[in-house]
Amino acid sequence: MYTELHARSAFSFLAGASLPEELASACAEREMEAMAVLDRDGMYGAPRFYMAAKKSNVRALIGAEVTSEEGWRYPLLVESRKGYQNICRLITSMKLRAKKGEGQISCAEIARQLGNDGGGLICLTGGDEGPLAHALASGGMEAAMNSVQQLCELFGRRNVYVELQRHYCRDEEVRNKRALEIARKLNLPVLATNGVCHALPEQRELLDVFSCVRHHRTLATAGRLLTRNGERHLKSGAEMQKLFADLPEAIANTQVLASRLQFTLNDLGYQFPIYPVPDGRSQMQFLRDRTYDGMLARYGADNERARKQIAHELAVIEKLDLAGYFLIVWDIIRFCGQQNILVQGRGSAANSAVCYALGITAVDPVGMELLFERFLSEERGEWPDIDLDLPSGDQRERAIQYVYERYGKLGAAMTANVITYRGRSAAREIGKAFAFDPEVLNRLTSLVGAWEYKDANDTLERQFQDAGLDLQHPQIQKFCELCLRFQDLPRHLGQHSGGMVVCQGQLDSVVPLEPATMPGRVVVQWDKDDCADMGIVKVDLLGLGMMAVLEDSLKIIRDDYGEEVDLSRLPANDPVVYKTLQKADTVGMFQIESRAQMSCLPRLHPVCFYDIVVQVAIIRPGPIVGQMVNPYLKRRQGREPVTCLHPSLEPVLARTLGVPLFQEQLLRMAMIAAGFSGGEAEELRRAFGFKRSERRMKDVELKLRRGMDKNGISGETQETIIRSITSFALYGFPESHAASFALIAYASAYLKCHYLAAFTAAMLNNQPMGFYQPPSLVTDAQRHGLRVRPIDITCSNWLCTLEKIDEKFAVRLGLRYVKGLRAEIGAEIIRERGVRPFTSVDDLKRRVPRIQKGELAVLAEVGALNRLGNQRGFHRRSALWQVERTARPAGSLYELCDDVEKDDVEEKVWAGNASGNNDSAGSPLAQMSAEERLVADYRGTGMTVGPHPMAYHRAELRKMGIRSAAELAGLPDGMQVRIAGGVIARQRPGTAKGFVFLSMEDETGIANAIISPQLFEECHVVVVHQQFLMIEGQLQNQDNVVSVKSQRIRPLIITSAPTTSHDFH
Amino acid sequence: MSFAAIHIPDFIVQAVVRGEAALRERAVAIVDGTPPLWSVVAANRRAAQVGIELGMAKSQAAQFTGVEIRHRLPAQEKTTHEALLDLGWSVSPWVEDSVQDTIVLDLAGLRSVFGPEEKIAHELAKRGSGLGLSARIAVAENIEVAILAARGLPDVTLIPPGEEAKRLSALPVHTLLPAPEILETLTRWGVESCGRLAALPVIQLSERLGQEGVRLHTLARGALVRSLVLAKPSDNFQEEMELDDSVEELESLSFVLGRLLDQLCERLAARSLSARSIRMEFELERSFEKGLQLSAHADQHKLIPRKFEKILTLPVPMRDSKVLLKLARLRLQSAPPPAAVIKIVISAEADRVRTTQRGLFLPASPEPERLELTMARLANLVGDANVGSPQLMDTHRPDAIRMERFRLAQEAVGGRRKKASAPGEKDSSAARMTKPANGFRLLRPSVPARVELRDGLPVRVFFYGSSGEIVAASGPWRTSGEWWQDPWEQAEWDVEVRFSSSAQKNKRSLNPGSERGLYLIYYDLRQQGWFLRGMYD
Repeated sequence: MYTELHARSAFSFLAGASLPEELASACAEREMEAMAVLDRDGMYGAPRFYMAAKKSNVRALIGAEVTSEEGWRYPLLVESRKGYQNICRLITSMKLRAKKGEGQISCAEIARQLGNDGGGLICLTGGDEGPLAHALASGGMEAAMNSVQQLCELFGRRNVYVELQRHYCRDEEVRNKRALEIARKLNLPVLATNGVCHALPEQRELLDVFSCVRHHRTLATAGRLLTRNGERHLKSGAEMQKLFADLPEAIANTQVLASRLQFTLNDLGYQFPIYPVPDGRSQMQFLRDRTYDGMLARYGADNERARKQIAHELAVIEKLDLAGYFLIVWDIIRFCGQQNILVQGRGSAANSAVCYALGITAVDPVGMELLFERFLSEERGEWPDIDLDLPSGDQRERAIQYVYERYGKLGAAMTANVITYRGRSAAREIGKAFAFDPEVLNRLTSLVGAWEYKDANDTLERQFQDAGLDLQHPQIQKFCELCLRFQDLPRHLGQHSGGMVVCQGQLDSVVPLEPATMPGRVVVQWDKDDCADMGIVKVDLLGLGMMAVLEDSLKIIRDDYGEEVDLSRLPANDPVVYKTLQKADTVGMFQIESRAQMSCLPRLHPVCFYDIVVQVAIIRPGPIVGQMVNPYLKRRQGREPVTCLHPSLEPVLARTLGVPLFQEQLLRMAMIAAGFSGGEAEELRRAFGFKRSERRMKDVELKLRRGMDKNGISGETQETIIRSITSFALYGFPESHAASFALIAYASAYLKCHYLAAFTAAMLNNQPMGFYQPPSLVTDAQRHGLRVRPIDITCSNWLCTLEKIDEKFAVRLGLRYVKGLRAEIGAEIIRERGVRPFTSVDDLKRRVPRIQKGELAVLAEVGALNRLGNQRGFHRRSALWQVERTARPAGSLYELCDDVEKDDVEEKVWAGNASGNNDSAGSPLAQMSAEERLVADYRGTGMTVGPHPMAYHRAELRKMGIRSAAELAGLPDGMQVRIAGGVIARQRPGTAKGFVFLSMEDETGIANAIISPQLFEECHVVVVHQQFLMIEGQLQNQDNVVSVKSQRIRPLIITSAPTTSHDFH
Repeated sequence: MSFAAIHIPDFIVQAVVRGEAALRERAVAIVDGTPPLWSVVAANRRAAQVGIELGMAKSQAAQFTGVEIRHRLPAQEKTTHEALLDLGWSVSPWVEDSVQDTIVLDLAGLRSVFGPEEKIAHELAKRGSGLGLSARIAVAENIEVAILAARGLPDVTLIPPGEEAKRLSALPVHTLLPAPEILETLTRWGVESCGRLAALPVIQLSERLGQEGVRLHTLARGALVRSLVLAKPSDNFQEEMELDDSVEELESLSFVLGRLLDQLCERLAARSLSARSIRMEFELERSFEKGLQLSAHADQHKLIPRKFEKILTLPVPMRDSKVLLKLARLRLQSAPPPAAVIKIVISAEADRVRTTQRGLFLPASPEPERLELTMARLANLVGDANVGSPQLMDTHRPDAIRMERFRLAQEAVGGRRKKASAPGEKDSSAARMTKPANGFRLLRPSVPARVELRDGLPVRVFFYGSSGEIVAASGPWRTSGEWWQDPWEQAEWDVEVRFSSSAQKNKRSLNPGSERGLYLIYYDLRQQGWFLRGMYD
């Protein structure tokens, strides 16, 4: 029997071509009991290989190829947990001192780390890149002998195997002969391996393309960098025995060595950090005290239901020994509170009353009757998952750095994010290998995957055809085939946006750590799913743009309005807020601002907080695909009777009018109808979740049916319940999560309704985020009566600020919106302006010398320099006229002379006896027209604070019979109308069967148009490329939801201003 | 003194339309780029009106109905430009070749031949039309004014002296062809016409845009005075002949070729130049080609081209038409055109005449012309791909080589004495000499063989009509590659073969007098057969 002990997966990044799962399944197919994966300088693929191998009853042996300073790679196999810890530390130390993606190890370092007993690692002499091959090539037999002896010294004689590989190459056979001689002389065992780089023979092609990517060559020019033949796939025991028929001991030794390698990843030795508890109390006791303190504050002393729920939860937490975990999360929350950083837990943690009491979440799970088991159960045996939303940007970074400081550099790290090849990246890399012209590549990548919805024609083939590729050509066919096979192969390791893992003691002995691209960050080599699979606890510190907006709004309200707003104490049922929501006037509000949400709001007509929870959850793929939206809305409007699937389910479905909308409801349905325990119900959700498996789904379904039979639910009712559970489990939104989001949605709505200026400024300061682009936010705010002032170098700060005009607040746009103006120049301008005001463009240039001509020109063009002219009639073009002179170097001869002159003038200005430089007195250029100003505004800032482009043409448009957006609401359903506007969003959602939704803006509001797939096909170019459109069609005005069913689409020439839209791809 | 400027608007489109008259009244978009990617690089007014934009992909442009899409034809642009120059030279000997789409003529002294300037301008327009060019013509006393007016104003324009600034004032400022950054500044300033630019104060303008600003200002006022830069005679040595009847036989073709080569060499001689290479392009008859294509329609990739091309790359510049004709004949004998020829275009890449000073004590080497003739004769016998010096290629493919052209010693070292080799080189050559190495005699092409196998191992081999017992075998050594275009896969064996004495007599001698030999045989998995690759010495 044979065991493959030297294989690389695709996690060797461009040096292996198979996923760990493919290797594991190939291993099982070849009836191999065990196999070792040795990825390059890392354990990247180890957890996935371990999990996949476990499923296939294959023993996953672990190791790595570690790069030496001399250029060869040590193939190291892990024998024991000590060996695993040693290899993790070796890799960590080499990685952390090198740049990302690099790193080498020295002999001395290995010796230091491993000590005298080999440190639990087995070293092979390697294949082409191993130490033996390297020594033979550079110094012949004598050097090779010395090299192997050195390995014996480093790893211990009994831990070194002389590796033999046979890929039908002459050179290799020569090396094998030498290796055998060395093994005989040094009395070392020989070991057959196949140096596997891919699971299946046909994957050699992928490996060749990877080689091209790695060496920046094309297939035609890569030459001998490509593989010599296709022999590096996983071979069966019989094939290997035949190959090494003359050396049976080399095959036999694979079994001997495999039996020595007892370490597997279930023996990781990970420990969660112990929270330092004062007064010698236990962690559990401390948690209990903190929870009850919180309970009193949240629920008061008399809430018996809350007390009972908390007691139940604490018992589960104690049983699962998770007190430390909750304390650590509580500690982060406490830090944020002390530092005035807004934080809120989301996801399933909001189902826990303990989390609510500890201040981790803000939703009352007792009051909302949320299901704790969705968060934590005894059956699951997994760590709970707590996600914390923090303001994106610096505040989140502070929280992350706090965790680093608290648990030490080697005690905490970010989880990785494995970047895999997708349509575009695969087409680009393979296209490069096929030596396609860069323009073809650009065209290809711009065509692949343009919309979320894919119609029947929208295949990869069609996209390639559109790019001008001849699909009949054999080479192009091969290209297409490879593009498909490249999907999901790992490309490189990134950093997860917020996942952090912490460890008691040394995290680097659990998993290798690497430096992240961002300074001060360390990343583990596993992604968050791998960490979860390996039982490592993770806390997600996620950045949420809206949290930053809320935080900034509160600050602005504090500073400018002089008021203190506490988000946790907002009035619960503010009528203004609900009235606004009912009108779907929600631009800028969290989660309820999209076109789809807006079209639902008037029909749902929210009147209380729970309605917002439903609103957040209902416009999701689950309810849409499961066709739950219309029944719910009809029942709500009283157009359909409220019925329940079964009387026993009434308590669960009553509050959603008999329609299941949340994941928790499905779990409760399973618990009531089929008698599932909380843990079993959660297991059901997972069985139907993203990593679904047919067998697991069948098992659970059987169990569900048995349970329902037992409870007397059968026939059609049983089928309906089964159908609703199975179709919904994948896409359903958890109620707890929806509730957490609804809180933020309510807060954003409240601030927008009551503090529009502060909210708008905060929104503009945190772009890009949300559904709408800054120009639409500004237009919307203006429609609500807010004055937005243009950028002005004499008073604009970098960010948008508030100004008081006639006792009302206005927003002053910040310099951050000047395209191309560098932040450091902006800061310099503000600093200098603080010293004394600028008097002219010359003065500005002299005092901020690093400002470039381009920056000055944009400032002048958008009117930001208008107030630098010392006389009336100084306009944008006057400033541009001056900029051009100021920015032009005077030349060495006149430089000094000019300065003296300028200083003279300036002194006179300060003395009040001159009006500045003569030249600045005026310019021969004509003032900009309204259209020119519009173009300049959009070009220089991406928006205008003046009238909307459509407003200039309203009279003409009216003559053309075009209605404004605001008029539509008052027109009857079914009327033939003509609308026009600037496109601000184009959507083709995956759930809408190819329909395209356009949002078009004019000075009165936003109009929505629906385009059928056929019409889209006809007018594709116009719809996608034109900025302003005129659409004719039938008005649909039902329940105050207004849209136009398009029949005819024409481009409209309104302005040449470069307006933009938010297209959802 | 007055000048006439001739400008061809939408030059790229016109270059194509000129060869396809049916397109004159249609919307035309010209696409260009590297296949298979094409984007629109030019479009006429009609095409722009229906929405065609520059930079659009061909597939996008194809969605507009009624738009004719054609590929850019640089050769036709070149000939169109030459036609434009011809148009100028047909009227005046003093022609300035300003840019590809514009030329200027000095009209001095033409009044007596053609009449007043207006008549000359209309005559030019008429002649242009005859050449398939729709030209704009402007006559002015100032060269630049004439150019600007032709570029910016339609049909025929005559600008009387003193009215330059007035007539130019409405022209858009981009007609002056300013640098992109200056155009951007002018656009920002709202200066969109020449008139507005001319109205700016020149000193302040110079402070802002420097001397270039002043130049543009002067230009916009129609006040830039310069003299004509006379066009040089063309360096493009090309002769072509369209044949009334198609020619199939080499003898007849040689006759035409000889005439063309004589003319070409005479032109070269007049300029004291020689040819570095000669390019012969033959346009093939379509009807014949069609018939062939029908028979070969199953394989689209092997369509007979409409053109057939041969390039004579010469070792040294030469212009002896007789030698060139011999070379051309030899090349055509070895690979004649696949169909009857209806047009021949011969062009020469000109170079300076060869001047060589031979060393007195250097060994005599053959005349390059003679050597080239000999090489051509050899190539005629053995095929182009089999003459030259073999170079190893960077691939795992065992027999992959490419042939490179022989180079004369003088060519290789620039005609000078060879430099003494560097110490390192000497060492390495010495090392090469001392290092023992097996010699290997490679057979090209490999010789088909038959091999008997036992338990997967070769035991007997047959080739050259003899058989031998394989007494020792090492292998298989597998190689495969080029899976993306032309896959190959082979398994090689190094074998020691013992031939029986009778077989020894019959054996074609690879290793005369020896009963044993070390051979390399291989099994080609694609061809499913055994071959003898060669023998180890």
